[in-house]
Amino acid sequence: MAVKAESIAKRYFRKTGGANYFYAVQPVSLEIAAGEIAVLTGRSGSGKTTLLHMLSGLLKPTEGKVRIDETDLYSLDDRALSRLRSERIGVVPQGRSAIDTLTVLENILLPAKLYGRPLPVEGARQWMERLGIAPLGDARPAELSGGELRRMAIVRALAQSPDLLFADEPTGDLDDENTRLVLSAFQAYAHEQKKAVFVVTHENDALQYADTVYQMDGGRILDR
Amino acid sequence: MTKRRMFLRMITASLLRRRSRMLIALLSIGIGATILAGLVTIYVDVPRQMGAQFRSYGANMLLLPKDGETLNGESLAEALKAIPEDALVGAAPYRYVRLDMTTRQQSFPAAGTDFDEITKTSPYFSVEGEYPGESGQVLVGKEIADTVGVKPGSTMKLTYQPSGSASDKTPEESRVPGAALSGKAEGFGGGIVYVSAELDEEMKIASLSVDASTQTPEYGGQVPENEAFLGQFIGKALPLTLNEDVDALTGATVTSSAVVDALNKATEAAVSAQPKTQNFTVTGILTTGGEEEGYVFLSLRDMEAMTGEDKLDVAELSVSAGVDQLEAYAEAITENSGSVRARLVKRVARSEASVLEKLTALVFLVTLVVLLLTMICVSTTMMAVVSERRREIGLRKALGASDGAIRAEFLGEGLFLGLLGGVMGAVLGFAFAQAVSVNVFGSSITFQPLLLPAAILVSMAIAAASCLLPIKRAVAIDPAIVLKGE
Ligand SMILES: Nc1ncnc2c1ncn2[C@@H]1O[C@H](COP(=O)(O)OP(=O)(O)OP(=O)(O)O)[C@@H](O)[C@H]1O
Ligand SMILES: [Mg+2]
Repeated sequence: MAVKAESIAKRYFRKTGGANYFYAVQPVSLEIAAGEIAVLTGRSGSGKTTLLHMLSGLLKPTEGKVRIDETDLYSLDDRALSRLRSERIGVVPQGRSAIDTLTVLENILLPAKLYGRPLPVEGARQWMERLGIAPLGDARPAELSGGELRRMAIVRALAQSPDLLFADEPTGDLDDENTRLVLSAFQAYAHEQKKAVFVVTHENDALQYADTVYQMDGGRILDR
Repeated sequence: MTKRRMFLRMITASLLRRRSRMLIALLSIGIGATILAGLVTIYVDVPRQMGAQFRSYGANMLLLPKDGETLNGESLAEALKAIPEDALVGAAPYRYVRLDMTTRQQSFPAAGTDFDEITKTSPYFSVEGEYPGESGQVLVGKEIADTVGVKPGSTMKLTYQPSGSASDKTPEESRVPGAALSGKAEGFGGGIVYVSAELDEEMKIASLSVDASTQTPEYGGQVPENEAFLGQFIGKALPLTLNEDVDALTGATVTSSAVVDALNKATEAAVSAQPKTQNFTVTGILTTGGEEEGYVFLSLRDMEAMTGEDKLDVAELSVSAGVDQLEAYAEAITENSGSVRARLVKRVARSEASVLEKLTALVFLVTLVVLLLTMICVSTTMMAVVSERRREIGLRKALGASDGAIRAEFLGEGLFLGLLGGVMGAVLGFAFAQAVSVNVFGSSITFQPLLLPAAILVSMAIAAASCLLPIKRAVAIDPAIVLKGE
């Protein structure tokens, strides 16, 4: 499964200079194929998260289309889009994303739970092991460190075996060793499982794991 | 870890975490449902209560004698035939006189009546002791009982002083021998014959004089001078029978008969003018909060014996019918009966209808206000819950929960609250209605089985309606914004 952006742009209303609005993301076209890992870097406020949200079905672009295989993502109704996101798209958000009333493992299994799918308990266990949070399954999110929470969110995205994986600064809270661990896991996931992976990061290290590198500035993808 | 346990934990945890808020929402729905269920129960029951109640505050129809006629048991029974048996709740006859209690130098109004009927027409009468069951017993109004100091079981010596006999004379004085009798009767050709007689110690005629100036001089006119005819009367006790006790004067039969008639009538009047005294046993003390407390009640039979008259002043009817039907009954009675006329106690019949109307409006208004308040309270609470859970809702949406799922979750929570609140409302509401009914109307109401599902349905509907706005808010939460984190 591949994701394809056809000159998508996001315009927000905000007085900037003479205009009433500004482009958080200028019209951009790109494609991430199955088996490919793409990395997006750029300065803070350049529109990386906005682009990632648009690609992952969380934010409707004001212009252009996002296609997943041949499906126009935002032509789907809320039900179908939610289901598609739940089944095929994994997202590691930039911010804190744990539900505090659930344990770590319950948080990880929640997406499947929401649709009554078989819980990917085995996949979850393996990924937790791989990212070094295996003992934390019954802990409460409130007890976890920032890095542990981040890895929990990564396992939650991966445990569903999504066809498309989007990660927004997944290594921000991590030490170098864990950063490498995560990035290589993403790379392996793309290459071995033939999935499309899109990672937003500041990490220069990340570039070496990437098949494609994009850089953003002021809402525009720079040519490289 | 099972799926179910996890899901349960999710719900209970989120409920528990917000338990004070949920409790407030539940309480407001519960209280709202309680008031509504209570009001509706009372409202449904009240027309029945009110009907009985108003009828019990006095009759809604009176039967009175027509001018110059008398009302008695016979004419009353005849008149009552105009009202169907099942519509006639009761018909209490009344005969009012004043009775004296000479031992206490007291005099008070007394009513002869039918106690069985009184319990039907005036169920609000409250009797300490018992209603009189047999002759010689009286029911005494509280006011009188307090004044003369009688209790159930006491004896009261009551005297009936006929009107016409001097009320300032004691009964003994009016029995003094030598009293004069005077009377009149119609004689020949419609002329009036006057007699006057004196009685001796043994109440026998001592002297007699007749005025027959209206009679034919050659015949009846001779009576006053005829010593032989008049002499027959001396030493005889009244009443007399013509041709047995005394012979008619030949050629003046009609006038002779008039003399005897006049004497007999005068005697009857004199005898009935004699005060009657009887001892009564008090069986009960009557409390009504009304003027009945100033009356002594005795059976009609005793009243007849005291007064020597088979006569009623009024009959109070309690009829179960609407105003129009009542009017029809009254008309029929007045038209068909020779001696009885019916009158509606209009004030009561009318106020019954208008009070019900006002009550309907009031219940409607209160219902509306309670509904509104409940909805505002539940809506506000749910709104607060949504903003508290903003982040969580956004996260769930980001993880694939659809708007429908979010909607269903909140609606489910609202309906659950409505269900609990409805059950609470039905039970407490019935208790509330029962308490009101017992305290205000003095009667209990039966539980309407329909009340439970109705209360549950209504409060679920209210809860669901209250959740509409909060749900709209929850659905509008943008996961993209929530995901950007704190
Ligand atoms: N909902 C919004 N309304 C208005 N402006 C927005 C909104 N979301 C983002 N922006 C603006 O769009 C621009 C791009 O934001 P975005 O979050 O994509 O940046 P970013 O590249 O992810 O930055 P960072 O590295 O700090 O996360 C910013 O200037 C931001 O202020
Ligand atoms: Mg960002």
